Amino acid sequence: MKEIRIAVCGNPNTGKSTLINSLAGAKLQVGNWPGVTVEKKEVTFKTGDYLLHFIDLPGAYSLTPFSLEEKITRDFLFTQRPDVILCVVDSTNLERNLFFVIQLMELGIPMVVALNMYDEAQKLGYKIDIALLEELLGVKIVPTVATRGEGIEKLKEKVVEVYEKSILPKDLSYGEDIEELIRKTKSHLLTLNPQLSEEELTKGIILKVLEGDEEVLQKLGIKYDKTLLKSYLEHIEKVHGMDFEDFLTDTRYGLSAGAVKKVLSRPEIRKITFTEKIDNILLNRYLGIPLFLLIMWLLFKLAFDIANPYVDFLDETISEFVIIWAGAGLEAVGAPDWIISLITDGIIGGVGIVFTFIPVIGMIMLLITLLESSGYMARAAFLMDRVMRAFGVQGKSFIPMLMGFGCNVPSVYATRVLEQEKERKLTMFLVPFMSCGARLPVYVVFISAFFASSSGTVLFFLYTFGIAIAMAVGIVMHKLFYKGESSPFIMELPPYRFPTFRDLRIHTWMKLRHFVIKAGTWILLINIIVWGLLNLPWKPEKPEDSLLGKIGSTVAPIFKPLGYGDWASASSLLSGILAKEVVVSTMAQIYGMEEEKEIKEVNLLEDLKSIGQKFIEKTKEAISNVFSTFGIATLSAEEPEEAGGLIPILQKHFTPLSALSFMVFVLLYWPCFVYGIALKAELGTFKLYGQAILLHTLVAWVCAFLVYQIGNFLGF
Amino acid sequence: MKLCDLKPGTKGKIIRISGNKNLKRRFQTMGILPGEEIVVEKVAPLGDPIDVIVKGYHLSLRKNEADQIEVEVIK
Repeated sequence: MKEIRIAVCGNPNTGKSTLINSLAGAKLQVGNWPGVTVEKKEVTFKTGDYLLHFIDLPGAYSLTPFSLEEKITRDFLFTQRPDVILCVVDSTNLERNLFFVIQLMELGIPMVVALNMYDEAQKLGYKIDIALLEELLGVKIVPTVATRGEGIEKLKEKVVEVYEKSILPKDLSYGEDIEELIRKTKSHLLTLNPQLSEEELTKGIILKVLEGDEEVLQKLGIKYDKTLLKSYLEHIEKVHGMDFEDFLTDTRYGLSAGAVKKVLSRPEIRKITFTEKIDNILLNRYLGIPLFLLIMWLLFKLAFDIANPYVDFLDETISEFVIIWAGAGLEAVGAPDWIISLITDGIIGGVGIVFTFIPVIGMIMLLITLLESSGYMARAAFLMDRVMRAFGVQGKSFIPMLMGFGCNVPSVYATRVLEQEKERKLTMFLVPFMSCGARLPVYVVFISAFFASSSGTVLFFLYTFGIAIAMAVGIVMHKLFYKGESSPFIMELPPYRFPTFRDLRIHTWMKLRHFVIKAGTWILLINIIVWGLLNLPWKPEKPEDSLLGKIGSTVAPIFKPLGYGDWASASSLLSGILAKEVVVSTMAQIYGMEEEKEIKEVNLLEDLKSIGQKFIEKTKEAISNVFSTFGIATLSAEEPEEAGGLIPILQKHFTPLSALSFMVFVLLYWPCFVYGIALKAELGTFKLYGQAILLHTLVAWVCAFLVYQIGNFLGF
Repeated sequence: MKLCDLKPGTKGKIIRISGNKNLKRRFQTMGILPGEEIVVEKVAPLGDPIDVIVKGYHLSLRKNEADQIEVEVIK
């Protein structure tokens, strides 16, 4: 069976991914482009005698790349030469979209254009003469409404048709001067590159040579004489009074505008669109920001409120049911103690961590997809850009940073909205300074022990302190990363659109699966290592004797200048690498607070029944949370169970000042390992996590040091 | 006059674009070309960036970028 390789490309916000989902049904395969974090989607299916293999290229405005996405698209089209190009076009924005289509036509590859969102264009009163446009461009054109699956079958037919008949797009005339230049350059290239045939030297490649896009020419292995070309170009520049690239863009846009003029008739008076009406409110000078903050607060509160009961449910089911029964089972077959502990605490516990992240990441990814596909994400960036520049990042970084207050892990995934790799990495790097929910239990215990009367103030101080540090680090890093030059922030504000349920489901599911597969195994491995640190040598008599205790004693002197040089706090801080809330439970264990294990009658049937009941209970809780969101519910921290007994002990070991220094340290130090693994899953290396560990811990130490020493000096 | 000096709601015609090559290229790709009409639609609540309409669609630009675009007001 013959395979047809079809590259699917188009401008961003044209509904390309909806179209792919619609083409793919359940067969969508998602991976990453080699070496980068950009998602790669593919789908293969049979149609008639052919195997159609669609490859989704990242959204691009031009083949002269600006973003990482555009680079991938350019490289693929030039070096991998697909059999057919399927270009998705926004029918309501023909001129800019055709500018891209015209560049694609230069490649000399059979082409089908999907005039997507055709219904919207009709609603605006646009009339597009499709037959004439087909004739002008020499491509097949199909009107589509991807959200409803309209035109999808026809697209497949046309793809096969242009392939079978090898219908090439028209070679549009770029004007005498450019055409002459192309002819001269072509013969020059043919002599220098005897391996190339005349057909292989497409207009696209020749224009790349003239444009001086060395990156792609190197990949193609094309040789050319720079000085000779320069002399060619000078002629154009002299005659037309602008440099060649400007002239070329002008010509392409001229062709696009000319075509639009011929094929499109639209109402004389431009109506104020639905989107503009909404934007008059959502981007309003006075209401814009309050509304934005309100929307964010509601959405994220809702996400965490719905997810949290299920997190509890999974946590309880694993710790109170799976682990106990697995333990009982292993004991019954006579497994040794250490095996039972390794399997239950190390392995099942590790799987449990992965599971408990699923509801949160799932909900957050759903929201992010919703924000992105509705068009509100661009507005968020528009509103917050001024603020976020203070952090050395741009408007779109606001949402990942905000989510960081809930949990840093989904934030890592949310940074996918940033197109520029550098900005994305910088945002990832700053996210851990946002005090996540797991740090709250630590604050709660220490605040109730030392600052009960001014708890609100201290909590507020900690959160804002984290933000301030993020700002300082962001500015410094920005200077180092960009060396003075800042990247332009030119962003389309696309029309508001209703996302389809299928898109939301597919995107959320893809991201969740990515987390479970890519991050899951690492989380498991590290959990086993931590288990080893806590329990080896097997059954330490005193907590000091465990590996963790020994490491704690070794590193304890480092914390002396911060006000707590004992091995117990050092060890709890070490265990906090697992997840910051663990600091509290480790302290409780170390200080001999370990709760007596309940000995209960075990009955499998009863337990199963109670799991079912609990699930229903938690679902009820999630639903009631949703409603309470709209009432006056606040994010409140549950006091950890161990806390009660721990408070008097803490009061013995810490002073208010050293407690504050401890909280500052917990706020800033070593981002938890799940965050690190999410980074690894997204970037493919542990490098950024390594840097984050070093820098965050250093910053934490310096800040805690200053708090303690200055406080001491002032006589607190 | 410069694009960022246009009051919201006014229409201008682009005369000249300056700036480094990278920025210029991006402008052109997005349809900001000499001779093109451009409308400043809104200014963000914090004063930056601005929302313009060019070639019939909305685009957000920072003020220091809009600084590179010279326009003349069309009545």
